[in-house]
Amino acid sequence: MKKRGIGIGSMYYGLGYGYSRPDIASATIELCEDGSLIVRTGAVDFGQGSDTLFCQIVAEELGVAPDDIQIVTPDTATTPDAGPTSASRVAYVGGNAVLNATLALKQTLHGVAESILGEKNLVFINREVRAETSGKWISFTDLARACHLRGAQIVETGWFNNTTDDVDPYTAQGDAYATYCWATQLAEVEVDTETGKVEVLRVVAAHDVGRALNPSMVEAQIEGGVVMGIGYALTEEIKQKKGYTPKISLGEYMIPTSLDVPSIESCIVEIPVSTGPYGAKGVGEPALIPTAPAILNAICDAIGIRITELPANPRNLHRLIQEKGKKTMGPEN
Amino acid sequence: MQNFSFYSPASLEDALIYLSDHAETCKIIAGGTDLIPNLRDEKLHPRHMLNVLELEELGGISEIENTIRIGPTTTFAELIETALINRFLPLLVKSSSQVGGPQIRNRGTIGGNICTGSPAADVLPAVIALDGELELRSKKNGTRRIAASEAVQAPYNPNLGPDELLTGIFIHKLKPGTRCAYEKVATRNAMARAFMNLSIVLQRDEEGVISDVRIVPGAMMAFARRITVAEEVLAGKKPDEFLIAKAAETLLGDLKGVWIPDYKIPVFRNIFKRLLGELLSESCRNKERVYAD
Repeated sequence: MKKRGIGIGSMYYGLGYGYSRPDIASATIELCEDGSLIVRTGAVDFGQGSDTLFCQIVAEELGVAPDDIQIVTPDTATTPDAGPTSASRVAYVGGNAVLNATLALKQTLHGVAESILGEKNLVFINREVRAETSGKWISFTDLARACHLRGAQIVETGWFNNTTDDVDPYTAQGDAYATYCWATQLAEVEVDTETGKVEVLRVVAAHDVGRALNPSMVEAQIEGGVVMGIGYALTEEIKQKKGYTPKISLGEYMIPTSLDVPSIESCIVEIPVSTGPYGAKGVGEPALIPTAPAILNAICDAIGIRITELPANPRNLHRLIQEKGKKTMGPEN
Repeated sequence: MQNFSFYSPASLEDALIYLSDHAETCKIIAGGTDLIPNLRDEKLHPRHMLNVLELEELGGISEIENTIRIGPTTTFAELIETALINRFLPLLVKSSSQVGGPQIRNRGTIGGNICTGSPAADVLPAVIALDGELELRSKKNGTRRIAASEAVQAPYNPNLGPDELLTGIFIHKLKPGTRCAYEKVATRNAMARAFMNLSIVLQRDEEGVISDVRIVPGAMMAFARRITVAEEVLAGKKPDEFLIAKAAETLLGDLKGVWIPDYKIPVFRNIFKRLLGELLSESCRNKERVYAD
């Protein structure tokens, strides 16, 4: 028989390292003579899109196009340290470092433009620097050349320190993290009680990301996280032998395939946090945390079995279904 | 990577000569979906390799009166896409679509699925349930035919002589009114080794009496075979709930050496009842059907 159920999972997640552990990122920005910019930072973009995000931040502040910006990928010889890509911290900590470098450069550019245009209130927009009142303007390229000719500070460093206070060592009370991410997910499942196979039919994922600097990338991270959460709940398992992990390939370690992944609806919730770049927090790890609880609650809703050991693969779940049957129906059945 | 000589013959005759000359040290490759990982993991050390993928004689799907000939190098994707197979042998479409993922189905062949002899083969049990025949050729003994059910009787050890090549799979078109069903149970929905699979082909006469039935479980025992004792319970009778239950119990009695029996035996009983119930229900008209009746 196939039985359906719906479950909910909620979480909060401390962003970054917290507990007074060092949590620092740096970046440099260089203004080239042609008006293009080079950002150097040690933050690793392994596909989640942080390079794109840094580009957006610089483009937003200086009114240039993302095409004008070159991001130099992590290289210990040429880029400053930005710490690891972990703890959902890159947009927040690395993003703030890039923003700080950009703001420092913007100040220099502002000064040079002021002296050229003879105006004080300037906006950086459409590759131009424009006086708000008189409408006088200079192109970003000409301004960059002027900076180079005048020996202005064309390389700036940005730094951001996300190291927090520790909690009280005796009571463990206190605020261990700079900020927190919040999320709730709902899962609908169908349990085949005859085989123990669970089909996830639908996941709805609501995530407070502070501010979505790139909504489609946020959605992609949520979807990727949910897929990982499905694998964690239902299929993925490493069996150690005498303390060693045997050689295992993706042929045996069962991550979900596209046929195991349902429609995922992402709801982006934006409650900006004053300390993040433009109010942004993080979403990398939060995306997968509520998925397994939501799925396991949905299984419980469907068949009344509370699962306490993962994965809930067909074999494990079928055993639990049989054990429950014996308890309620007596051993004869 | 290992060293071996690799030969792509221009004709079937050349292939058979090569195979005869290097019978004991030669591996035959078609899609390579099992062979290549085994070479990579150093489980095999062939000195010669015969590539049969480019031999025209071993490909293609054709109709010879009431029989369909499937060339052994036909890929799973080709089986799924061929109208003739969809019309007359939908069990092959259903089982082939359970093999790996699209890349593997584009590469892997039905001949390879049979000749690898894996106990967890997805398509071989369906070929047995369809009463398929295999044509084998060698330089020394010429052509002979065996039933698909005789092809594998020990895991990874097909009943082919070392100089023999599978050259054709022959399956009778199913008679009008025949119904068939296939189910695979695995941890995930694609690219997974079967916990078990089940192929059933069933025919009833006008009064609803079961005139012919073939039941073949896969990934249950060391090799796939028909469960004739259960077939005998059903044949010649008008089915009802009790008959199905009796057939299920008989079937379980004939399963020996099942791996992880605590899971597989009860689940297999469930699958068997479910598939048979679907095949016998009147609303089955929307399910896996063979032929217009």
